Amino acid sequence: MTEDKQKHIYFKPEKRLRSPDDLTRFQKSETYEEILNFIQTLATSVHGLELGDPSLPQDGPIADVIAALNRISDIIEKHPVTKDTTSRFGKLEFRDFYDDLSEHITGILHDTLKLNVKEKSNNNDKGDNSSDPVIELETYLLNSFGDRTRIDYGSGHELNFASFLLCLYKLDYFPSETYNKSIVLVIFDKYMKIMRTLQTKYWLEPAGSHGVWGLDDYHFLPFLFGAAQLSPMKRPRPLTIHNKDYVEEFKGKFFYFGCIDFINQVKTGTESLRWHSPMLDDISGVKTWSKIEEGMIKMYKAEVLGKLPVVQHFMFGSLLKCPDGVEQHHSHGGEGEDDCCHEIHSTWGDCCGIKVPSAVAASLAEKNKYHIPFD
Amino acid sequence: MEDAIEQQPSTELTQVPISTTNPTTQINTLEGWIEQLSQCKPLSEESVKQLCAMAVEVVKDEQNVQPVQVPVTICGDIHGQFHDLMELFKIGGPCPDTNYLFMGDYVDRGYYSVETVSFLVAMKVRYPKRITILRGNHESRQITQVYGFYDECFRKYGSANVWKTFTDLFDYFPITALVENSIFCLHGGLSPMIETIDQVRELNRFQEVPHEGPMCDLLWSDPDDRGGWGISPRGAGFTFGQDISEQFNHTNGLSLTARAHQLVMDGYSWSHQDLVVTIFSAPNYCYRCGNQAAIMEVDENHNRDFLQYDPSVRPGEPTVTRKTPDYFL
Repeated sequence: MTEDKQKHIYFKPEKRLRSPDDLTRFQKSETYEEILNFIQTLATSVHGLELGDPSLPQDGPIADVIAALNRISDIIEKHPVTKDTTSRFGKLEFRDFYDDLSEHITGILHDTLKLNVKEKSNNNDKGDNSSDPVIELETYLLNSFGDRTRIDYGSGHELNFASFLLCLYKLDYFPSETYNKSIVLVIFDKYMKIMRTLQTKYWLEPAGSHGVWGLDDYHFLPFLFGAAQLSPMKRPRPLTIHNKDYVEEFKGKFFYFGCIDFINQVKTGTESLRWHSPMLDDISGVKTWSKIEEGMIKMYKAEVLGKLPVVQHFMFGSLLKCPDGVEQHHSHGGEGEDDCCHEIHSTWGDCCGIKVPSAVAASLAEKNKYHIPFD
Repeated sequence: MEDAIEQQPSTELTQVPISTTNPTTQINTLEGWIEQLSQCKPLSEESVKQLCAMAVEVVKDEQNVQPVQVPVTICGDIHGQFHDLMELFKIGGPCPDTNYLFMGDYVDRGYYSVETVSFLVAMKVRYPKRITILRGNHESRQITQVYGFYDECFRKYGSANVWKTFTDLFDYFPITALVENSIFCLHGGLSPMIETIDQVRELNRFQEVPHEGPMCDLLWSDPDDRGGWGISPRGAGFTFGQDISEQFNHTNGLSLTARAHQLVMDGYSWSHQDLVVTIFSAPNYCYRCGNQAAIMEVDENHNRDFLQYDPSVRPGEPTVTRKTPDYFL
């Protein structure tokens, strides 16, 4: 990344994975390895550390990303829930928040992240932002907060936030490895607080929820990072998640207990975690946190990065590159979620409005067979 | 339909030995299963196979648009909330004293999908004229692999056999019902490829729920405030406006389209100026939504009445013992 940043062409990331073959290519790709390594590096960096540990760097890039997230918190404040609910479960004001954020996110990132791209893009026309990495950063960040239309949120959106952080990481935004632990325990912690606000305020539906049979309605990474925090520790033991006093004591120190506390608060109709969260109950029988951390990484690979319903929404840009061999596609009716991205693909953007050759249409139809709808 | 039946998925179900020569024995077996299931105890894998083989024989001869007489009580999504299904029968009256029409989504998300769908299928086999069970978008191989039923079967039986047996059965479920030529009942909604109910009758339903086309739409579509057809945010089916509902109900001489498929806070919700009603029968969905559930009674005079109910009290703790998931071994 360091060589020749001026010539690097940034573009708006877009969805590319369609078929089981695409998924296989993704799982063998450089991007997949980068995501996985990044998450493992972050997890390792927080072994034995509590949230708020005095050793966590809070300065420079950490403070700047927090400033960006604070601006996003302010936008949430501006959009209270006022209307009665409609046919959808989620609150429609989420869309107002989303539109507001969408309008201001470029400015927020330029203001707060201090990426110094202006001087390098001096001779470009005003519409060209190909030398500005914000075009990629903002796409991942905007999609980290849920789906505007469906008013839902799931591990795929969470993966977008991890991708936002990974893009910063690849841009050498964080000056040293010492900052890794703060990426998790300061930045990701702030992101979790924002998500909890959005989930409870706008009643975000769990995207692709397995119901009681999933790990959690919304999140995966705080369980992974949370297990990593506890990994070297003998106490509290995994079984203590069932004890309300322990949960109360540790919810502010370890992500894992924070998640249990949230579940206890939002799940009603039963006192026992065993009813609504049998997976967490099963995991609580594991002897050590290090085993849980290991298992979480295996499970993340299989249930998030290895599932087409999740990664069919993953977006690839210049920083997180699309795997070789994945075909370019373009949606023509029937599917609403992949917008035409004229601004990026000038070579084929003009196919909108003209007839698609039937062979292409046939192969598209073939590919779309694998498209997996939402509940 | 002759051709359609020839294209039925191959299945070993019909070869399972079960006493079909002695109805008394069969009814006793069924009664035993229903008794066991009503205590929320799952059947053995072998019994599930026998039950589903019997159920195939019952539902395969039902029509794509299964005719239903009044009085009948129409119900929406259950999603494995077994205790709430028992509550439903308390509120609506026991089957077979009350006739029931269920509009799909028996499985996924809840803790007791296996027990729920086993119970409803057993009731269907025992009282075929008293209970109608339609197919929902979750009665599908692909969807159940994502949303919990597959995981549950594996967790409870140690293999995917029971999941396979049930999902093979789902291919035979009728996809819509017509109450006295007046109320069209289905899981999702209308399709731009379907103008008349006769067109539904012509579909080959004996297959996995397709990714597109009329059968997919009937199980996936949603009514919407916007007019006309819209692209569904779900990625399958369509949204349809009031103009579409008006045209469909008018063309087919219907008074109402009843459907499920969407969580609604009061358990039921009118749309399109009372041309469409949504019914959702899983209270406090997934232990978190705080919604009421509802069922719709239609009496001999076609009067409609909604009965709402809250979640039933759960007994202390699940009886299933803790088992470490493979990832954590």
